[in-house]
Amino acid sequence: MTTSVIAPVAEPVRNRETNTRRRLPLRLIAVVYVALLIGLPVGFLFGKAFGLGIGTFWRQITEPGALDALELSAKVAAIVVPVNTVVGIGAGLLLARRRFPGKRLLDLTFDVPIAISPIIIGLSLFLAYSRIGAFGPWLFKHGFMLVFSVPGIVLATMAVSLPYVLRSIVPVLVEIGETQEQAARTLGAGMWRRLFTITLPAIRWALLYGIALTLARTLGEFGAVLIVSGNVTDKTQTLPIYIYDAWDQVPTNDAGAFAGAVLLAVISIAVLVVLSILRARERRLRVDIA
Amino acid sequence: MSISLERVTKRFGVTFGVEDVTTLIPSGALTAILGPSGAGKSTLLKLIGGLVTPDQGRIFIDDDDVTDVDPRHRNIGFCFQNYAPFRHMTVAKNVAYGLKVRHRPRAEVAARVEEMLELVRLSALANRYPAQLSGGEMQRMALARALAISPRVLLLDEPFGALDAQVRAELRTWIKELHDRIHVTTVLVTHDQNEAMEVADSLIVLNEGRVEQTGTPTDLYDHPASEFVLQFLGPSTTVFGQAVRPHDLLIVPAGQGWPATVTEISTLGFEIRIAITLENGGAAWLQQSRAEFDAHPVTIGQAIGVQRRDATVSPVGTRLDPAAKPAEAVPDDGALTQPAP
Repeated sequence: MTTSVIAPVAEPVRNRETNTRRRLPLRLIAVVYVALLIGLPVGFLFGKAFGLGIGTFWRQITEPGALDALELSAKVAAIVVPVNTVVGIGAGLLLARRRFPGKRLLDLTFDVPIAISPIIIGLSLFLAYSRIGAFGPWLFKHGFMLVFSVPGIVLATMAVSLPYVLRSIVPVLVEIGETQEQAARTLGAGMWRRLFTITLPAIRWALLYGIALTLARTLGEFGAVLIVSGNVTDKTQTLPIYIYDAWDQVPTNDAGAFAGAVLLAVISIAVLVVLSILRARERRLRVDIA
Repeated sequence: MSISLERVTKRFGVTFGVEDVTTLIPSGALTAILGPSGAGKSTLLKLIGGLVTPDQGRIFIDDDDVTDVDPRHRNIGFCFQNYAPFRHMTVAKNVAYGLKVRHRPRAEVAARVEEMLELVRLSALANRYPAQLSGGEMQRMALARALAISPRVLLLDEPFGALDAQVRAELRTWIKELHDRIHVTTVLVTHDQNEAMEVADSLIVLNEGRVEQTGTPTDLYDHPASEFVLQFLGPSTTVFGQAVRPHDLLIVPAGQGWPATVTEISTLGFEIRIAITLENGGAAWLQQSRAEFDAHPVTIGQAIGVQRRDATVSPVGTRLDPAAKPAEAVPDDGALTQPAP
C-alpha cells in the first residue's frame, strides 16, 4: 500500500537524476568536440586577424583587392539569391503539387549539388561552356564568354546553391496541403493572387530560412567558382578566392588572408544568427498550429 | 439554382471515382450525398465545385454548362472537410477574402463581413486567428467565408466529420436553420445516414461510384430501390434471404408465418428489440413499441411465427411512384406476401 503510493512519485525523480548523471559525459564530449573542430580554430583566426591591431585589420579589408572581392561577392549574391529563390519556389510548387513523368528524376537532380563535390560542378561547367567545351565555341562566336568571367562565377554559384530554397519549402508545402489554395480558388482568386496571398504567406518562415541558406552558400562557395573564374585578380575574385589567393601567394599575405577570412566569417555568422531566429519562429508557429 | 449532372464519369484507379452519374439536385433544397467511404461522395462534390474535372459527361448549374469553367468563375461556396482556414489571416480577413478578390469597395466588404459573422455568430471572434478557434468555430468561419460571396450553390464536404458528438448535433441543427433562412441550394457529403436523414430534404445514395437511389429521406427509407439502400439507410435484418426493416416484422401465433424461436428480449426505453432464431438456423431481430409488446408479450424460448407487416413498406426493388403498383414490381414468388402456412 505504502510503496504503491510512493513509487510513482519517487520513480521520476530517480530517473531524472540518473539521466542527468548519464548525460553529463555526453555533453562534455559534445562541447569538446565542437570546440576542437570549430570553436578553437575560428577563435585562433580571430586572434590572428586582430593580433596586429584593429588598424591593420581595417587596412587589410579596405585594400583595393579585398574591396573588389567583397563587391564581386555581393554582386554575385545579388543575382544568385533572387534567381534561385524564384526557381526554388517554382520547382518546389511543381514537386509538391503536381504529378508528371520524370518527377523523381527532377527531385533527384536538385540534390546533386548537395551530394557531389562543388569542384565536380565547376569542372562540368568548364567542360560545357569554356572555349574548348561543348557549347563554348558557339557562345564565344556570339560574344559570350561564360568561363573566366563574372557570368561563369554566377553560373557556378547558382548551380551549387540551387537546392536550398526548394529543400526548405517542400516539406512545409506538403504539410499544409493544397486545400487553402483550392479554397482561395473557389473564392475567385487567380493563380498569382493565390501564390502571393495564400501560398507564400503560409510558407514564409521556411522560405526565409531557405533564402538565408542560399545566401550563406553563395557567399562561401569556393571550389566550383575557383574552376570557372580563372582567378583573375581584381576581376574574377570573390571573397573566398581572394582569401585563398592571399594565403597562397609568395610571399604569403597572412594578414590579408586572415582579415578576409574574418570578414567572411562575420557575414556568415550574421546570416547564421538570423537563420536561427527564423528557425525558432517557425517552430513556434508550428506549435501554434498544432 | 438547380445542379444537374449528365452521365458524369471520373475514374481514379480502384476507389473514389464516380461512374456514369446522372442526377438532378433541386433548386433551394438541402441535398445530402450519402454513401460508404470510398463510394465517390467527395469526388462528386468536387466535380460540382470544379476541383475535379470529369473524364466524361456534363455538369450544369441552372442552365449553364459549367463543365469546363474554372472553379474561380463558378461562383460556388465550397467548405472543405478540414475547413481549409487561411491560417495567417484573422477570421474577418478570411471572410473578406472572396470579396476582396472581387474588388468590392472597402465599406461594402466591411459591412458584408460584419453581416456574415453575425449570421454564423462569430462577431466576437473577428480578430482571432484560426489556430485560436475550436473545430465548430472554424467550421462556421468556413461557412461565412463561402457564403460571403453570395454563391449560387453551397457545397459542404463532410461538414461534421471532425467534430465531437455534441458539437456535431448542434451544428447539424444550426445548418438546417441557416438553410431555412438563406435558401441557397446546398449539397453536403456525409457517410452518416442518421445525419443525412435528419438534415437533408433529399438524398443521393452512392455506392461504388454509382447512384443507387435518389429521393426524399422518407422515400428512400420506405421504398428502397435496392437491398444496399435498405441496409445502408436505417436498421435491417435478414429473414429467409430477404432484407427487411426490423419494425416491419410482426409476431404471429406459432403455426402461422415463418416458424421462429425468441432468443433474447431487450428494452431500450420506448423500443423493444426481440432477437429470434429462424427454423433454418438464421438469426434475425425485430423491433416493437412498448405498447405493442405489452399487448402481446412473448418470452425467451417461446415458439412464434413471424411475418412481414404489409401496410407500411413496399418490397425492395419498387420505387415510390404513384403510377406503379408495388406488388407487380417484384416477381411474386409468394415468399413475402404469402408466408407458407
